Amino acid sequence: MRHPAQRRSQLPSFAHPALGATLALSLSLGAQAQKVETISIGVAVAQTSNTALLGQEQVIGAKFAEKFLNGRGGINGTPFKLVFQDTGGDEAGAINAFQNLITKDRVLGIVGPTLSQQAFASDPIAERAKVPVLGPSNTAKGIPQIGNFIARVSAPVAVVAPNAVRQALKLDPKIKEVAVLYAQNDAFSTSETGTFQQTAKDQGLTVATVQKFQTTDTDFTTQVTAVLNAKVDLVIISGLAADGGNLVKQLRQLGYKGLIIGGNGLNTSNMFPVCQKLCDGVIIAQAYSPAQPSAANQVFVKEYTAQYKKAPPQFAAQAYAGVQVMVEALKVIDRKKKLNTWDLDDLRAELNKQILLGKYSTPLGPIAFDKEGEVIQKEFYVAQIRMKDAKTGSFVYLK
Amino acid sequence: MTDFLSTYGFLIVTMLQAGLLGLSLYFPLQAGQLSLASPGFYSLGGYVAAILLTNPAFAGLRDTLGNAMFPLTWLVAAVLAGLLGLLVGVPALRLRGIYLALATIAFVEILRVISLNLSVTGGAIGLFGIPQPFGIVDRWQYVFIFGPLLILTLLFARQMERSRVGRALRAIREDELAADAMGVPPTRYKVLAFVTGAVLAGIVGSMSAPLLSSWNARQGTFDASIAILAFVLIGGSRNIWGPVVGGALLTAVPEVLRFLADWRLVINGLVLVVASLYLPQGIVGALEKLGRPRPPQRPTPVKPAEVTP
Repeated sequence: MRHPAQRRSQLPSFAHPALGATLALSLSLGAQAQKVETISIGVAVAQTSNTALLGQEQVIGAKFAEKFLNGRGGINGTPFKLVFQDTGGDEAGAINAFQNLITKDRVLGIVGPTLSQQAFASDPIAERAKVPVLGPSNTAKGIPQIGNFIARVSAPVAVVAPNAVRQALKLDPKIKEVAVLYAQNDAFSTSETGTFQQTAKDQGLTVATVQKFQTTDTDFTTQVTAVLNAKVDLVIISGLAADGGNLVKQLRQLGYKGLIIGGNGLNTSNMFPVCQKLCDGVIIAQAYSPAQPSAANQVFVKEYTAQYKKAPPQFAAQAYAGVQVMVEALKVIDRKKKLNTWDLDDLRAELNKQILLGKYSTPLGPIAFDKEGEVIQKEFYVAQIRMKDAKTGSFVYLK
Repeated sequence: MTDFLSTYGFLIVTMLQAGLLGLSLYFPLQAGQLSLASPGFYSLGGYVAAILLTNPAFAGLRDTLGNAMFPLTWLVAAVLAGLLGLLVGVPALRLRGIYLALATIAFVEILRVISLNLSVTGGAIGLFGIPQPFGIVDRWQYVFIFGPLLILTLLFARQMERSRVGRALRAIREDELAADAMGVPPTRYKVLAFVTGAVLAGIVGSMSAPLLSSWNARQGTFDASIAILAFVLIGGSRNIWGPVVGGALLTAVPEVLRFLADWRLVINGLVLVVASLYLPQGIVGALEKLGRPRPPQRPTPVKPAEVTP
């Protein structure tokens, strides 16, 4: 099968000749050069649907980046603008959001979408239009490989998750038997649980039971009973905030006393209202920590805490990093040739090249990209949840 | 023009696609069967196309067939959906009304859980990197694929309605027992209507997999069943244009109202509530009523004269 791009000029074989003429005409019109009018970066994340629990943290992170970076001079003195389009939680929403950003808002690059599954549908749109994309939270395998214009700032799950198991063994070296639970209908959780199970085996632990659930479940009696019967010393959960929180709550209510590790889906304070006091003690591996000592992060944490009265969560930090990378790459290009003198298509291609070349000092620590667009990140963290009362709690970082 | 097409082209295609899915539910409804199984067959069709187009096992076949591979996926999806429809339809159509609806929802759920557990369907991540048919570059060009299918389906539905089969289906819808007594075999016609809907949903699925570039278990869910049912109810369930209008409208509203940000879903909900309250026959049903002359009113009954003893 030939690649679609090689057949670009060919029409659908059954198209009417008149329609074909219109198509050829419109294609030639589209090829006309367009100048860069405003320096705008698109943000396509989930502002509605049940994915919005994560997406809204990303909106805050991106908006914060716009205000903060513009306050420090924007792109060599010119402020940039963020354009938000809601992707909802499904593929069609992500495609529509990308289309709007590319053709209507004429953005230079896009930070988004929220879910890996959405990325598989919408990233090819950007790839065909040759618009650079930075995934802020797409952790599934195969995302940067979608195309030359696709990269991500979110480290794949395989490098983040094992840290939590090692930390749990440090806290309690007597751990032998492990129960693994995961949300079967969530792409992220299913790939994360594979990593967790492998790590457990590598550390010499026995996986006593593997239990599946759905992200829409609210009752986990079956899974909890199986875990209690297996008499395990450690429970590892890969799920999302609402289901994961309920699972933790029911495990504790029915009498499980041992350690609990949560995956990245539980890595949000949105879980606290669900399991309340019972969240206490859950161990979570993270790609971001407010405790990361770099100057870039400490300024970010200070300003963010002052504005939102809480420490920045991982999804906000990653969205911030996505915007920051785009802005820094644009700064470099602007120094060579003023941005408003560029042709839009050329600038998008140049931006993509520059993103992959640069090294960035972000709140995630120092990051860079490999040739395919995969993030190269060095520092990862493990935190434990400490609840103050039923509503407020915090992630305490373990060393 | 180009900008309009590339911005809204995908929306126009999804409107056609929603209309087709609405029609797939309309066929069993013609026989009075409230089946919510469409997303199951849609999902099956999508998986058939996705597997045939990406699985390395079919690489040789793809090289030999070239673009003819795409019509082949439609055909395979149609046949498989038809067979599965027959398999499910024969036992399930013994159930009536709400019980049939529940059984078909269970069917959709079973298919979803199966696809989550198989490795050939890619588990929860699904299949991605699906190639584009006939050198399609922009999403709007899918109009050339979904458009003809919609026209063909509408023609087919119209012919079916006017035929003997259509009359039999209507008879079963209005009164199954009476139809049976008149010599119309209800089970056979009900299964026929159900399988027709299944085949259509399967073909739409196989065309949608390249449209979305990726396919996963979230394409065939309970939510999708409800969405498609809403297309038919809002549009009108007694006219072939009902599902098409309903599907197009409900798909377009949230997208056209994009500028309202968070409020757009509120408007979408309002449309649903208002339409179901004030247009019980759906939008097309209401329009039809307007066009038709008012039925003659029954004369007010004359009070019988009081009889004095």
